[in-house]
Amino acid sequence: MDAVLTGLATGFSVALDPFNLFLVLAGCFAGTLIGALPGLGPINGVAILLPIAYGLGFGPESALILLAGIYYGAEYGGRISSILLNVPGDASAVMTTLDGNPMARNGEAGRALSLSAIASFVGGTFAVVLLSLFAPTLATFAVTFSPADYVALMVFAFASLASLVGKNVVKTLLGATIGLMLATIGIDANTGVPRYTFGIPDILAGIDFLIVVVGLFGMAELLTLVEQQVSGKLKSLPLDNSFVRMADLAKCKWTIVRSSIIGFFIGVLPGTGASVASAVAYGTEKRIADDGSTFGTGNPRGLAAPESANNAAAGGAMVPMLTLGIPGSGTTAILLGALLMFNIQPGPMLFSQNPEVAWGLIASMYIGNVALLIINLPLVGIFARMLTIPQHYLTPLIAILAFIGIYTIVGNPFDLLLITLLGIFGWFLRKMDFSLAPVILGFVLGSLFENNLRRALSISGGDWTILVADYKSIVLYALSVLVVLAPIWLARRARRMAAGPVSSSKGI
Amino acid sequence: MVDRIFAGVLLIVTLAYTVIAFTAIRAPFQYDPLGPESWPQILSVVAILCLLFILWKPDASELGVSKQTWFRLAATVILLGAYAELYEPLGFILSTLLFGTALCAMLGGSILKSLIFGFATSVAGFLLCVTLLGLNLPEGELVEYLHKQASGLEEGVS
Repeated sequence: MDAVLTGLATGFSVALDPFNLFLVLAGCFAGTLIGALPGLGPINGVAILLPIAYGLGFGPESALILLAGIYYGAEYGGRISSILLNVPGDASAVMTTLDGNPMARNGEAGRALSLSAIASFVGGTFAVVLLSLFAPTLATFAVTFSPADYVALMVFAFASLASLVGKNVVKTLLGATIGLMLATIGIDANTGVPRYTFGIPDILAGIDFLIVVVGLFGMAELLTLVEQQVSGKLKSLPLDNSFVRMADLAKCKWTIVRSSIIGFFIGVLPGTGASVASAVAYGTEKRIADDGSTFGTGNPRGLAAPESANNAAAGGAMVPMLTLGIPGSGTTAILLGALLMFNIQPGPMLFSQNPEVAWGLIASMYIGNVALLIINLPLVGIFARMLTIPQHYLTPLIAILAFIGIYTIVGNPFDLLLITLLGIFGWFLRKMDFSLAPVILGFVLGSLFENNLRRALSISGGDWTILVADYKSIVLYALSVLVVLAPIWLARRARRMAAGPVSSSKGI
Repeated sequence: MVDRIFAGVLLIVTLAYTVIAFTAIRAPFQYDPLGPESWPQILSVVAILCLLFILWKPDASELGVSKQTWFRLAATVILLGAYAELYEPLGFILSTLLFGTALCAMLGGSILKSLIFGFATSVAGFLLCVTLLGLNLPEGELVEYLHKQASGLEEGVS
């Protein structure tokens, strides 16, 4: 407990520095704007702005605070386009449209927006509190991890990714493998042997992380926007003066608490982020609510559940990233890559070696959550106006921002072509129902995975049984099997229940 | 069907990756049990197994992209390619002016509004990024040439 308090003191002294405070607010504001834009989610926003934030030459803690502000600001802003336009910014906001948009159509847009803002705030704050309590303990434990345990941890990360993300397990696995393969390009750090460089000097040091991120997320998103381009303006529902009532909050309070817990723990699972969390929270709430049949027609509880869950998951996803160096979601994978660019190795030592970064980030999340609630309640009208920006302005702007960001880092025009090519590749992957988060996770974890495997085998002199020699590894492998088999078993059981004579779904 | 084609193309790339992993990558000397080639070898086996599974049981049958959309996408890619190629020779302001106007007009903006948009983003973007934020953006060979001329003239005068 003492460690937590001193840590938080360090963190707040960093985060309350006027410049960093400004960055928190700027990040939250920019993030909400990006999240509110139809079609752009947190991951695209962070991907497009990451190179620019890097190019500004801030210290690592300031840059990370800015990026994290954009991240949960966008997680916050996503609900605006979901509720008013019925267009989710990304997968985690899909569940918000189910009840949020019907509420707005019933003329309760203001009520829906303010209720979801409060639900998001509670979910986000709950997650930060748990994060600051758990993270140091977990980090102390993780210091004892051997290379073999790390290999097991990676296997667990990819297993939970494969079973919980995306529709097709094989495609998710292949996506992660593509990411790992991309990470092998460049000079091998252990022996100095060049791999897959084909003599091209631009990729001797490996494909730059920023290029992969901006290509796969920024440019692929741009092509998707062009593909799905709707002629004319999207019709935004009018914003009215209704506001959340105490009765709503009283009705939703347990929903919010339950969903925050679900969201946080799903967020902590390596590899699974806000989209899984909001879906699970919505499903759970629908099942246990006595008026579950009205879900989908504008039930406030159906709106509060996914909103508190996805913000809690955004905080939960920070836990494995800060303590183990294994990102909990696609967006935290990008943040992790950002830390690596500043030569900071995220992992168990982060809390002792760079306390100002780890705790500064955590403290900035407390401030950011409060700031988001304050800017979101009165200023929601401004953000709502962003929704009507025609797409023919938005799309070129994304490309221009991406180009500025990539060019300012090394000033190499070859990189601009590379992000375009990766964007085309990413667009095809998306069209084939691959999700892109596994690819970026594989890319970020590639060298960590390989080096730990090689280190483990060096320790044992080539004996592969070292991988299962420790109880920690065995527990992690058992969890991996469990996380893959459990959904299959549950689905089979659900099918058997549905086939049974008792039909509980009469109300629908 | 589309799934199979895509998986087939990926399989060819992966096979090339595999061949390189098993034949070309080799450390001149090493003491560790796993060399630089082992990890790519493991990955290539996993990737090939996944690809064979997708080839065996594909699930996406069509892309669902109309001819018109393909045309729009191809045009966007060409514009992006041209933008990347012209970025340094023309400099940020001119290339962004051209790219912003062209893409905006292609996506349905009126010519006048597209021109205003292109002009505003290029000039405002340059001022914001270079003057205010101190980022590095290309001025363009034309501007550099003019600069040289101007400084050359000054030197000539003095």
